[in-house]
Amino acid sequence: MFQPADNLKNNHNDRIVMLADCESFYASVEKAAHPEYRDQPLVVAGDPTRRSGIILAACPLAKKYGITTAERLGVSLAKCPDLVVIRPRMQEYIRVSLQITGIYQSYTDLVEPYSIDEHFLDVTGSIHLFGDPYQIAKRIQDQVQQETGVRVRIGMSENKVLSKMACDRFAKRNSVGIFYLPAKELQKMLWPLPVQHMFMVGSRTCRHLQTMGIYTIGQLAQTSLTKLRSRWGVNGEVLWLIANGKNDSPVNPHTHGKPKVIGHQMTLPFDYRKLEDILVPLLELSELVCQRARMKGYMGQVVSVGCQGADFAHPSGFHRQMKLPDPTHLTDEVFEIAKKLFKEHWDGLPIRRVGVSLSQLVSDQEYQLTLFDNRETKLVLERTTDWIKEKYGNAAIMRASSLTESGQARNRAQKIGGHYK
Amino acid sequence: MKIRIAKSVLVEAVAQVSKAVSQKTTIPVLTGMKAIADQEGLLLTGSNSDITIQVRIPHVKEDQEQVFVEQTGSVVIPGKIFGEMVRKLPGEYVEWEVNERYQITIQSGSTEFQLHGFNPDEYPRLPRLSADQVFSIPADELRSLIRQTGFSVATNEARGVLTGVLWQLENGVLTCVATDSHRLSRRLIPTPNTGQLSLDNVILPGKSMSELAKTFADDEDSVEIVVADHQLLVKNEHIEFYSRLLDGTYPDTNRVIPQCGDTELITSTRELLQSVERASLISRDGRDNVIKWTMSDDTVEVTSVSQDVGSVTEEVKARVKGNALGISFNARYMIEALRSIESDEIRIQFTGTMTPFIIQPADRDDTLHLIVPIRTR
Repeated sequence: MFQPADNLKNNHNDRIVMLADCESFYASVEKAAHPEYRDQPLVVAGDPTRRSGIILAACPLAKKYGITTAERLGVSLAKCPDLVVIRPRMQEYIRVSLQITGIYQSYTDLVEPYSIDEHFLDVTGSIHLFGDPYQIAKRIQDQVQQETGVRVRIGMSENKVLSKMACDRFAKRNSVGIFYLPAKELQKMLWPLPVQHMFMVGSRTCRHLQTMGIYTIGQLAQTSLTKLRSRWGVNGEVLWLIANGKNDSPVNPHTHGKPKVIGHQMTLPFDYRKLEDILVPLLELSELVCQRARMKGYMGQVVSVGCQGADFAHPSGFHRQMKLPDPTHLTDEVFEIAKKLFKEHWDGLPIRRVGVSLSQLVSDQEYQLTLFDNRETKLVLERTTDWIKEKYGNAAIMRASSLTESGQARNRAQKIGGHYK
Repeated sequence: MKIRIAKSVLVEAVAQVSKAVSQKTTIPVLTGMKAIADQEGLLLTGSNSDITIQVRIPHVKEDQEQVFVEQTGSVVIPGKIFGEMVRKLPGEYVEWEVNERYQITIQSGSTEFQLHGFNPDEYPRLPRLSADQVFSIPADELRSLIRQTGFSVATNEARGVLTGVLWQLENGVLTCVATDSHRLSRRLIPTPNTGQLSLDNVILPGKSMSELAKTFADDEDSVEIVVADHQLLVKNEHIEFYSRLLDGTYPDTNRVIPQCGDTELITSTRELLQSVERASLISRDGRDNVIKWTMSDDTVEVTSVSQDVGSVTEEVKARVKGNALGISFNARYMIEALRSIESDEIRIQFTGTMTPFIIQPADRDDTLHLIVPIRTR
């Protein structure tokens, strides 16, 4: 399935960008940790004790039974009664993901984590050390397999969007899991594909494109730019550029380094109807946001609050923000504003989801002290609770209100991204 | 209404009143200036949501006829255009006539303007203030009070009472305090003729303070101050200046002002100011405009470092008593405080690197500025 070797020759000016994707990531990590399940179909499910739990990852064997991610566990068990069901261990997946990032960084300094199981690598400057793109990809794949038990599939091309499509459309579908897509092969390889196979085209965009008579990536690439721009503005131009394989965004190792916003949100276990109940998770979220801001060394000047109504058929809720006179990372101050915003904008309908965030971040290495509020004393207290939480977990110390029925802190302390640690 | 008025007199009065005329408002009549011609002369009024300024032009001033009222009456004249127009009129005198439909004719030299006026009955009435809380102070002291405190108010409207200046009167001393919670300015003025009168929590908006200083900029005599629940009135013979007061409770500033310091510094106001101004060239583009002072036996070392611009260091001779100390703060606060001080020497008292410090003229204790430092790591 590879191209002949002369396709892999790298011209001097051409970038070589990789998108490396971990196959069935959570499931692969679990299989590596449990060799006894090596030959059995295995899934990681949100809550193994409930048939309504969601499949987070399925190993290739399980996929052969027709099991797909995001389906309900009950459905999967119907397809394959002998399925091994594992409870997620998010902390471990983050650890392995960082370990894989570390392996990539031994090949190039330009590594950009794109998600927990996908990374962009710009290996342009490292090629000469390893021969050609195929050889460097093979070595990376082998090393990750050996050290973590996870199989990575690698798509390569001149830029990020082409390498992403090289991975999704080709590397994931061939036996070696490596594919190099030279930009000049774009018309031959990508243009015949249906438009929904293009990066950034979801089901809705696809429907809209089809009503315009655009069914393949090639047709999109040859549509006039003005027509797309008048239909979608800048986004239309983005689609056109992707279809034509044009994208010059750099592989940025610091994408996750300097946050613009620090925010947390949570889906509540039942409908919250009373203000006093909603204020409990709002305080917990304010505390989480400030805890993370302090850990990362930032203060923020804008506090935002958002919520979503319980009745998804009749969407309600709001998202509002307010600027503070002085930047802060103190729970009290953020909560005060969050509470004020919530009281002003909440329409009184039941709430199922709330979020708090802090933006316009500045370093907390140097800041103006103030005359009236004793912020330094509060900060010492909060740094102490931060330290306790870091050492003994977020449930080790919390506010009394979190012990009420409305409190979510204890439950949340056991999870990462809504799934068990 | 029909009058004849000396142009120079009219220009001056209109300039005063224009400061209060609303530029934009939901009440159209407030974009106008109210004029009343009566037996005593001409009365002009401008008003916005914060302040009202009223100027009286008497019939005769220093034996000189300024305004001649042929027919009494009143009108509201469009403020913005009138303000610009009178300055540009060619003649020495202005003839001003209003008909019953409030059509205004302004004639000067060979120029004649026709303006559409408003019905004066639609213009809001001025507040009537009860005269029980009244005292007077020399206008030049009022100006120095404003000049030495006004710059410290908070400019962000969300800061509430901190956007105003606190006026307190107790035991024959008037105290004005302004703070934006990063720095504070306080000025005391003895008011011997106030007797038993005492005022507390009177908060005048910062913007009103600066307009007040401009309004009485040339006055050499005393002004009378009347304080009511929601209004303050400052007046002399010809001008009345009304301002609304801010609602809310001003924080207790006495408890945050340190009483003495561990390190004391005495030096030339001008030399110190100039050194801070130089250091500020490096710091001013940074978020908090941070400069650092390091005090040792007989010098203050002034430094500022900016990652983008570069750095500066200099030494200023000073008499330093007490512990050696290094402290960082916002240079703008220091510049504004030092510029407002008229004495040649200043005394600065420090209580620590993380606590406020006090700047005072070395020869008097009626003036105090406080700056809260910047915490650095």
